[in-house]
Amino acid sequence: MTAAAELRHLKGAAPKSKPQNKAAFWFLLPWFLGLFAVTLGPMAASLYLSFTKYNLLQPPEFTGLANFERMLTDERLHSSLAVTFTYVLVSVPIQLALALGLAVLLDRGIRGLAFYRSVFYLPSLLGASVAIAVLWRTVFGTDGLFNEGLALFGVEGRGWISDPETALSTLITLNVWTFGSPMVIFLAGLRQIPVMYYEAAAVDGASPLRRFTSVTLPLLTPIVFFNLVLQIIHAFQSFTQAFIVSGGTGGPTDSTLFFSLYLYQRGFGNFDMGYASALAWLLLVIIAAFTAINFWASKYWVHYDD
Amino acid sequence: MRPRLTRRTLGKAGLLGAAPAPLLAGCGIGGGGEMVLSDEPVELRIAWWGSDLRAQQTNEAIEAFQKEHPRITVRGEYKEFGAYWDGLATTFAANDAADVVQMDEQYFNSYSDRGALWDLNEAAEFLDLSKIDPELLPTGQVDGAQFALPIGSGVLAFAVNADLFAQYGMELPDDTAWTWDDYADIANELAQRGGGDITGTAITGGVDVGSLRYWSRQHGNELFAENGDVSLDPGLLVEQWEYYAGLIASGAADTAQQMVEDTGAGVEGGRLATGKTAFGLIHNTQITALRSGSGADMRLLQLPQNGTPANFIKPAMYWSVSAGSEHPAEASLLVDFLVNSREAADILGTERGVPANTEILEYLGPQLDESERMAVDYLEAVVTGDPIRVTPNGGSSVNPLITRYGQEVYFGETKPEDAADAFIAELQGEIDATR
Repeated sequence: MTAAAELRHLKGAAPKSKPQNKAAFWFLLPWFLGLFAVTLGPMAASLYLSFTKYNLLQPPEFTGLANFERMLTDERLHSSLAVTFTYVLVSVPIQLALALGLAVLLDRGIRGLAFYRSVFYLPSLLGASVAIAVLWRTVFGTDGLFNEGLALFGVEGRGWISDPETALSTLITLNVWTFGSPMVIFLAGLRQIPVMYYEAAAVDGASPLRRFTSVTLPLLTPIVFFNLVLQIIHAFQSFTQAFIVSGGTGGPTDSTLFFSLYLYQRGFGNFDMGYASALAWLLLVIIAAFTAINFWASKYWVHYDD
Repeated sequence: MRPRLTRRTLGKAGLLGAAPAPLLAGCGIGGGGEMVLSDEPVELRIAWWGSDLRAQQTNEAIEAFQKEHPRITVRGEYKEFGAYWDGLATTFAANDAADVVQMDEQYFNSYSDRGALWDLNEAAEFLDLSKIDPELLPTGQVDGAQFALPIGSGVLAFAVNADLFAQYGMELPDDTAWTWDDYADIANELAQRGGGDITGTAITGGVDVGSLRYWSRQHGNELFAENGDVSLDPGLLVEQWEYYAGLIASGAADTAQQMVEDTGAGVEGGRLATGKTAFGLIHNTQITALRSGSGADMRLLQLPQNGTPANFIKPAMYWSVSAGSEHPAEASLLVDFLVNSREAADILGTERGVPANTEILEYLGPQLDESERMAVDYLEAVVTGDPIRVTPNGGSSVNPLITRYGQEVYFGETKPEDAADAFIAELQGEIDATR
């Protein structure tokens, strides 16, 4: 049956299975309720609020595009965008490269694979938690574990988190450290690659590097793409790490002022919920744009095996 | 793909919008109950920020109150300072604020201006204000309306580690007549004798609103004008920043990096408490935490005067009754109990600052321990200038602002002149935005 015929068949079949539809409806109802009450409704409300001045205590006051005009001249917004873009564009590629590298190593059927996989995955479960952010602050402090490690090699450390020049790097490191979840997805992807391709390549005398670049990587591109999209979205929304490490300030001197942290400060610290709502929509647009670019660019480098 | 956090963030913002705006603009009282006692059993909520110790004591005081008023049940809610203010804004927006809320000098105008608090003068039948220190009481008023009741007071102080002075063979300065030059000399001397082991002083100015006010008042200037505008002379802020930049450069003071770490460590674990520097800036009542955290011989000294008294008594915190409260009369009774009763004083002590109720302070006198005694003695000895003007609506971000600009200057990222102008412009902008 061709796809078109199949579709026609399915369409034709639909009315006959009415009881099933009904059941499906009831099963989906809680999800729909959630979607409308907790997601779409509030989103619509926040869209409205983004055109108002709203201080939480008094009724919102319609101000048209004022909030969006303000974005053009808001220097803290611009610096928070710079911080966030740096964070995303540096940490995501490093994180994915590390995840892929380790996945390839672990895929060689070494003993205790399950153990290593769990160990490497652990940071992904913990990475966004408050406890780890607190730990990070201690580890990278002047008297922290990291500097003690450096001292063993005779290198003098510094207060990594208290210095505006290095504070963001520690947060980037923290994000890279949570490479476990893309790694597990890569591992699953590697298992999908038929062994015969490697066998054929080996027979042709391809080196391990050649086999990686010519077999593994091309066949893995859908997975790389998937991870890339996911991790970029994830990184844009980072909040906890910067909030805890900087004590909610985005400091020192705004060097860790993530976009979502700035949004939070405006909304909850400055009673500026109208502007904060507008910022939330800006973030949505930015993420949507990045995702769209990703999908557009994927035509040129992602190979689907069909 | 799952833009999860976005949705949730948006959702949160949206939920707030969906909630009916409970409080009428410009109207002092909206939505809440009347100022009469109910015949029915009443349930109250009271919210505060602070340590576990404070929570324990407050809950104990609440129990004592319930024994006296069996008809009233009180539920306490507490958080740490930052989370408290984030949460308070949202509960007020949802018309779900606690009946009694702990307030701060920097915030209460932001709430009272928006009609979120009761004028406690209307609760005179239930809440006695007559025993409160007349110098403090006006700090909770706006145009005569008592939106917040000061419950304790604090005053800026230098804390010094006398052990370090002894160790390096130095004398404590006479704090009744000293200048900023004296202070700089002592800090330099300490740092030299310390030979790299210690610095003379923490960065005690230019990154917090208290020291900023002190410096400007010393020159006859004020941070805020009568009408709520910023009236700070940028030249004075530049002068203060340059003074401290000099101390940092000479090695007398902590570096900017050390300052940032110090802020994260808190009073009990900071560089002063751990003996890495000899001077720090605190509120007098923090001496208790500092002494217990360090185990060192910590003393309180007045800030250098340069001949002009510039210090000021600051209400450490207030109690307010939220306008949305359904039982404002009972809520006022609770506040009255906490502030005016000896029973509560026995339990609460000076944990919320030196009590603003002068009779209670006298009553507590003999029970104070050594460090509480130090705090009270200091408050009595300190020479103060005129009372400060309260932070206007929109000015609640003044402290984070001065911290950020001060850090930029001390890290050498921004010139003091530019930072001072930008600081004033941004603060004025926040205030204007609420008008």
